Amino acid sequence: MSFEEDIKQSLIKKFNYLEPVIRIQRARRIFLEVTPENFHPVFEYIAKDLKFSHLCTITGLDENEKLSFIYHLVQDPGIMINLKTSVPKENPVIKSIIEIFPGAEIYERELVDLFGAKVEGLPEGNRYPLTDDWPKGEFPLRKDWRKKNA
Amino acid sequence: MGVVTKAVNWARIKSPWILHFNTGACNACDIEIIATLTPRYDLERFGVQLKGTPRHADVLVCSGPVTRQIKDRLVRIYEQMPEPKFVVAVGTCACSGGVFQDCYNVMSGINAVIPVSLFIPGCPASPKAIIDGVVKLLQSLEESEAKK
Amino acid sequence: MHNSEEFKIPIGPQHPALKEPESFSVALKGEKILGIEIRLGYNHRGIEKAAEERTYIQDIYLIERICGICSHSHSTAFVQAVEEIAGLELPKRALYIRTLIGELERVHSHLLWLGVAGHEIGFDTLLMYTWRDREIVMDILALLTGNRVNYGINTIGGVRRDISKEQAEEVLKAMDTLEERTKYYIELGLSETTLVKRLSGVGVLTYDDALRLDAVGPTARASGVKRDVRKDDPYAAYGEMDFKVITEKNCDVYGRTLVRLKELMEAYQIIRQCIKNLPEGPVTIKAPRKIPAGEALSRYEAPRGEDVHYVKANGTEKPERVKVRAPTLANVQAVKQMLKDRFLADMPIVIAAIDPCFSCTDRLVSLRQVDSKDKKTMNWQTLREYSIDWHRKQGIDFKKLNQKLKTNV
Repeated sequence: MSFEEDIKQSLIKKFNYLEPVIRIQRARRIFLEVTPENFHPVFEYIAKDLKFSHLCTITGLDENEKLSFIYHLVQDPGIMINLKTSVPKENPVIKSIIEIFPGAEIYERELVDLFGAKVEGLPEGNRYPLTDDWPKGEFPLRKDWRKKNA
Repeated sequence: MGVVTKAVNWARIKSPWILHFNTGACNACDIEIIATLTPRYDLERFGVQLKGTPRHADVLVCSGPVTRQIKDRLVRIYEQMPEPKFVVAVGTCACSGGVFQDCYNVMSGINAVIPVSLFIPGCPASPKAIIDGVVKLLQSLEESEAKK
Repeated sequence: MHNSEEFKIPIGPQHPALKEPESFSVALKGEKILGIEIRLGYNHRGIEKAAEERTYIQDIYLIERICGICSHSHSTAFVQAVEEIAGLELPKRALYIRTLIGELERVHSHLLWLGVAGHEIGFDTLLMYTWRDREIVMDILALLTGNRVNYGINTIGGVRRDISKEQAEEVLKAMDTLEERTKYYIELGLSETTLVKRLSGVGVLTYDDALRLDAVGPTARASGVKRDVRKDDPYAAYGEMDFKVITEKNCDVYGRTLVRLKELMEAYQIIRQCIKNLPEGPVTIKAPRKIPAGEALSRYEAPRGEDVHYVKANGTEKPERVKVRAPTLANVQAVKQMLKDRFLADMPIVIAAIDPCFSCTDRLVSLRQVDSKDKKTMNWQTLREYSIDWHRKQGIDFKKLNQKLKTNV
């Protein structure tokens, strides 16, 4: 059995509701999707128990009614899990993961600025990457956002 | 014209001091500017010298399409330079915005923010083009000097 | 001013030597750095949004211009992701050429870095030497791709130019010259006191911190973290190449220098293997204009570290979402750690050592007494008045001096 299959089985063993949403796209690429309530236990299990100790980045996605976030985690050497979770667009609240990955701070700030995500537990600090005088409530990477000809 | 002014003008043309400022470029023009100053092309043999602060510079060499955040800094640096001052826009982005035209965080071109004396297009502008541009700038200075 | 008080100094975003404008706010006590805040985004152009509004072919050129130094890294990472979604099986020759250009890019980038590092520690001779040698590899890149920077060689489904026999010979010749030069630099790096003493023990990032803060590339490898996408997650033709992942245990700037120097030697080996084993065949296959719906994630070991691209396609000519994580962003957190409790004078070289090649003019814009009760901020004017006042107390009066000067003129 391949490494990828091993990881898939151990995930299913621990969280049986994952069986229909987990897929191995190709060698070293595992994709799975969880609800926001289940996100933290699954994330912690992957990061700590399965030792996916390297966070590549967090991708934000605008999917019409909801905002999705994909956490790209890598286990040395080279196997990657892409953990996706979606929250409603009106109230896009996610919990910060900087306790597990201190390096994630800058990625979370990016989500705040570009998608309007509300990240609980993210300390105050300089914004990234938009300017300080950027208008409030405008999130350029949302699909309905258009550049205004000022 | 006094002797002192004449001497100052002569010195400026013979040895212009430049300040390089990245206004949101992709670094390609920036490394080509540095390459122009290093041994193969060696712009320093014309007396051109790279300086660290706007207060010492005669020529501001900008690369990049001017991002929203850098805009105020660019104006400030321009204001800090002593008169007379010249601005050179290196690369297509600095000339017009290039591939980044219409991006939300880009002002499209140095010209949109401060007046530009010389445009050097290219993506990135090759060292040869930059040398050509600098020579043209110095020539035009010499000519305007001669007219006085 | 007083040593006992803490001050905040803003540094950047304008700086003399090179590259991305960033701004640092450094809290100081005397010469010692207490903490550091980094403000990025001066270079944010909105490429991810722009990529959604353009077609895949247009995007290659846009994404190539994310960074002019690792342009091939970004465009390769992007086309790899698109090819994975479209299910394209690339001809081997194309993969070899991509690898070849990728390694040439690494050579030019590492030589560039070595020069900048030399410049930061006041060793400008090294800057001039390495940049002269770098022109050799720039010539080769221009010969193979037609451009010195931003090569434009990638396309979806392969590469746009083939390599002829004569070109291959030129590459090999250049590699011999460069290898000689690099050997000299390695000898220099191991024996030259200026380098060893200035760089050792500066900007320390321990093995644990490198892991915890997700450092990538030579920054991580110099702290003993054996992490290299070329080996861990082979792409292009790296699976068939024989090379070592270089690690050092120094954990400091000196270690990062050695890692990059030794990686240069590995790069020459990979380039030679590419030329020697270059398979025959076409360099491109036909790619569809519309990419079927799907998502893919592509990793690439850029000269600065792991570069990650996520692409989501929706069946049209334009991508639904393109996400880019450049290596420098991953290393920013590590810089904070490296600089804590260190000296201000080490800042330029430590920041340069992760290779955003940052060097800074220290432009004092506002001074703030951090821990005193009245948190007053001084602007330029009050600062100027303060200094005139201070000098007057020391017995120097600028007013008199100015008048004296005026009467003389």
